[in-house]
Amino acid sequence: MSPMKLCVPGERLCSTEDCIPGTGTYLRHGYIFASLTGYVLRKNEGEELPVISVVRETETQLLPDVGAIVTCKVTSINPRFAKVHILYVGSTPLKDRFRGTIRKEDVRATEKDKVETYKSFRPGDIVLAKVISLGDVQSNYLLTTAENELGVVVAHSEAGAQMVPISWCEMQCPRTHAKEFRKVARVQPEYLQA
Amino acid sequence: MDTIHACFKDKIGEVLLPGDVFSFRLPESGDGSIKTDKIICGPGLRRNGEEVQVCKSGILRHKQPNMYWIDSQQRRYVPAKGESVIGIVTAKSGDIFKVDVGGSEQASLSYLAFEGATKRNRPNVQVGDLVYGQFTIANKDMEPELVCIDSCGRANGMGVFGADGLLFKLSLGLVRRLLAPQSEIVKDLEKIFPFELVVGMNGRVWVKAKTVQQTLIVTNLLESCENMTSQQRQTLFKRVAEGSL
Repeated sequence: MSPMKLCVPGERLCSTEDCIPGTGTYLRHGYIFASLTGYVLRKNEGEELPVISVVRETETQLLPDVGAIVTCKVTSINPRFAKVHILYVGSTPLKDRFRGTIRKEDVRATEKDKVETYKSFRPGDIVLAKVISLGDVQSNYLLTTAENELGVVVAHSEAGAQMVPISWCEMQCPRTHAKEFRKVARVQPEYLQA
Repeated sequence: MDTIHACFKDKIGEVLLPGDVFSFRLPESGDGSIKTDKIICGPGLRRNGEEVQVCKSGILRHKQPNMYWIDSQQRRYVPAKGESVIGIVTAKSGDIFKVDVGGSEQASLSYLAFEGATKRNRPNVQVGDLVYGQFTIANKDMEPELVCIDSCGRANGMGVFGADGLLFKLSLGLVRRLLAPQSEIVKDLEKIFPFELVVGMNGRVWVKAKTVQQTLIVTNLLESCENMTSQQRQTLFKRVAEGSL
């Protein structure tokens, strides 16, 4: 491997005859240009031409993809949707926090018009959700919790204690015994310790 | 039953401060016949495991059969669902009006939430108008929402009001006393002269009488009722009715 070289978007790296474009690069007029700021990486893959790619850091960033299960934290709620920060994709923590939106009609699979966001999520809850769309340029990832295994996993009551789920729509505080409404995720049997 | 209610009984009518604790450990009788009774903790009381803690300073009140709460005094209003309040329209933006209700955030009022309002038939609401409405959404995480119709779609006394008259602010405790079903203050006031009165649970009261002088008299009387006993109040009202003030 050649020594690491820094590049900026728009810098011409080499021509198509020398390498194959990888991630972080694009083809234009028979030449390969960089599209990210980072280090140029040239990897030899057997008989074919080496693959040239631009990476920000030494590890590749894992991006949430359509259909991936993500763990997120609710930041604000609105009668129409809830805004979340995506923290984990699968079981890998993310270095940056991506923003997501859970619309009111994507909270449940049944009785979608009777959903009240205040009775499903609250700011500070940890939620398991699935990505349904990457969204436009301006908007965030669109997420859904319309499955039994998706929904609120960890929530704190108004008194500050961590609540215990009692049904798919209610959680109870162990200190004040007050019940609060949430859209609770069903724990999968392999994670239950008998 | 005796242990739980007895703890509360001697404190009914007394001033309690936040941090006061009622703890009842049920006596462990050999028979195992412990009667579990339900107590409803109202505003100002909170259960913490085996104890009930006081969260607000005030007087402990009791209502049969088993409801206890703290009657506290404050002037700052916190929006709660279902309460009827007087709001002042501050802005019109798109489909909603922004209404100031005296809380930390302005409430939003949709223009369709009036009786007989459709997308073509907009209600006649201007900035600065007074509206009487109820909260449909009011909690600490979201912006409060007002409506001026009830669940059947009828106005039921709500909507825009107040061509003349005077709007002023009272403490929340006095407003609750005015809104009680058999309020003595309102009954005594009625005897002096007729007037229109709208009371909002956010502490705002609107009064209109025949002349400006009478309106101001009613305003001053209501503001002075705050710290008077019923005896002092009745003597004051009598003096006003005789015209000596």
